[in-house]
Amino acid sequence: MYQYDEIDQTMVDERVAQFRDQVARRLTGEISEDEFKPLRLQNGLYLQLHAYMLRIAIPYGTLSSRQLRGLAQIGCTYDRAWGHFTTRQNLQYNWIKLEDTADALADLAKIQMHAIQTSGNCIRNTTTDQFAGAAHDEIEDPRVWCEIIRQWSTFHPEFSFLPRKFKIAVTGSPNDRAAVRVHDIGLRMHKNDAGEIGFEVIVGGGLGRTPFIGKTIRDFLPKQDLLSYLEAILRVYNQFGRRDNLYKARIKILVHEIGIETMREKVEAEFAASKDGALKLPQEAIAQIAAQFAPPAFENLSGISADYANAFRTDFEFGLWARRNTFKHKQPGYSIVTISLKKEGAPPGDASAEQMNAVADIADRYSFGEIRVTHEQNLVLAHVKQADLPAVFKALKAYDLATPNIGLASDIIACPGLDYCALANARSIPIAQQIALRFRNWERAHDIGELKIKISGCINACGHHHVGHIGILGVDKAGEEFYQITLGGAADEQAAIGDLIGPSLNTQDAVDAIDTLVETYLRLRKSSDERFLDTYRRVGLAPFKEAVYVSA
Amino acid sequence: MAKAPKLNSQPQVVTANHLLSGDVVYLTKAATWSRRIHDAAVVANVDAGAALLAEAEAQAKQNIVVAPYLIPVDASVTPPKPIQYREILRAEGPSTETRPAA
Repeated sequence: MYQYDEIDQTMVDERVAQFRDQVARRLTGEISEDEFKPLRLQNGLYLQLHAYMLRIAIPYGTLSSRQLRGLAQIGCTYDRAWGHFTTRQNLQYNWIKLEDTADALADLAKIQMHAIQTSGNCIRNTTTDQFAGAAHDEIEDPRVWCEIIRQWSTFHPEFSFLPRKFKIAVTGSPNDRAAVRVHDIGLRMHKNDAGEIGFEVIVGGGLGRTPFIGKTIRDFLPKQDLLSYLEAILRVYNQFGRRDNLYKARIKILVHEIGIETMREKVEAEFAASKDGALKLPQEAIAQIAAQFAPPAFENLSGISADYANAFRTDFEFGLWARRNTFKHKQPGYSIVTISLKKEGAPPGDASAEQMNAVADIADRYSFGEIRVTHEQNLVLAHVKQADLPAVFKALKAYDLATPNIGLASDIIACPGLDYCALANARSIPIAQQIALRFRNWERAHDIGELKIKISGCINACGHHHVGHIGILGVDKAGEEFYQITLGGAADEQAAIGDLIGPSLNTQDAVDAIDTLVETYLRLRKSSDERFLDTYRRVGLAPFKEAVYVSA
Repeated sequence: MAKAPKLNSQPQVVTANHLLSGDVVYLTKAATWSRRIHDAAVVANVDAGAALLAEAEAQAKQNIVVAPYLIPVDASVTPPKPIQYREILRAEGPSTETRPAA
């Protein structure tokens, strides 16, 4: 993992001191709220519905156990002993006081973390595959490139006041777990015909009011040109992106309005002028950063652990969990474990300080002291010996962290919605909880199989509803909460925007409709191997729409 | 069916967020701020609320609260109940909240 050097630490410490002074001047009235607001936002501090919310950057979702314990401690000291993991692989505290914020940021700096660039019209936290460096299907570890992007983009003077916020995601695997096609820039690592590894560069994806799947602007970009090319895209966006209309300011609108061909011409011209300049990445610098992500000291293991096989055979609960929550590792004898933060009845993505400390302890004992945050609001232990899986399961279960539902109907992405967010029109968490209750029966849930339900409380789409197999969007109708349902969205390598099935429904009808949609799928599927999304793609919208509205 | 009254013609209270804590607060008859809507000063409608809002804005300038505004309430019940769902949530807290306040 990357460690701050003296320059990093000084920069972050000085930023905390600067913010402490800004808060003091706000409290004495030396600066007004209008003047203070952009300053607090640049430090991740929002004023939400009930309180201040502090958003912490977790670079590419990677945490050490020390950092996770630190986050738990900050949650205990300044919040209500909880934290909320988000779809941006970040952490949010929902009950922070302005007067405590500088102290909280100072405590964060002690664990080499900060809240810089978690808000504002800058390049935000770069996200990636939560299985990076561990997945069996990986071409190359994308975190190296996320780190290079982090170092380049943090405090980048030219890109601190873009037309709008800017999000970059990287995947090092052909199976995209980072949703790269719905980011402002998506980077997909792949091999060209000559066997060289580079990037497919995708631009102009995004959700929100106007959702778009990104378009490929470059099929293959050599690694050493990554920053030059990113800078060329950002420079074109900074120059031509709209600043006259907040809703048309994202790069996706620019790409849509001028077309990908024109966008490519402009970017390539900019790139040609700068590609061999200061941003060309020297091999030694890449190697130096890659060394910080060197694989941990794996043991040489072969075959299947007898303990694991025995537990799988004899312990039904463990077997259920291992089937759903573990993933194939590149190293023989190891597995990747996803820890569900979607226990029935819990707000998706929430973790108590006690749970965070428990995960940190389990990571220390069984996974080289490292934790990942997923964009689907779960946690990951990336390197667990298969022989240790029964013990890990037992330890997680003691803290309500062993729900066997990864990728199932109850593993729902939901934004905080109107329960917390000042922008929301409707609540997301309660409807997520009600839907999860419908699928509490493990037999039914596992029979249904993979089903990604994603819920947003407003059109800004923090809950990624557009790319849910079933997407749910909360809307306000004359002061009442209603929900629009979309079908067929996907955030993977075959990314798609879902189709609206019809008029919005009230809360109860929307929850019933999800049941109806699932029952319709079970009736229509060819076999238990055909996923909900496959069935939808085969039969289309009509039978699902009819089932929801004709039977209503 | 009788038309629902316009929100502006409903009884109103002034709400804001407390600058230091971020808490939801309501302006009282004594021109202080309370975390309980029970204590809020209620006026007949938006027009009658102008003076109340002016007082609140003056306090915002003194760095006590942030962004005060009038909200319609049903004053026939005690405590007055906000009409808009967003304001009900602000008054009562998150509907999913199960955690004790610090």
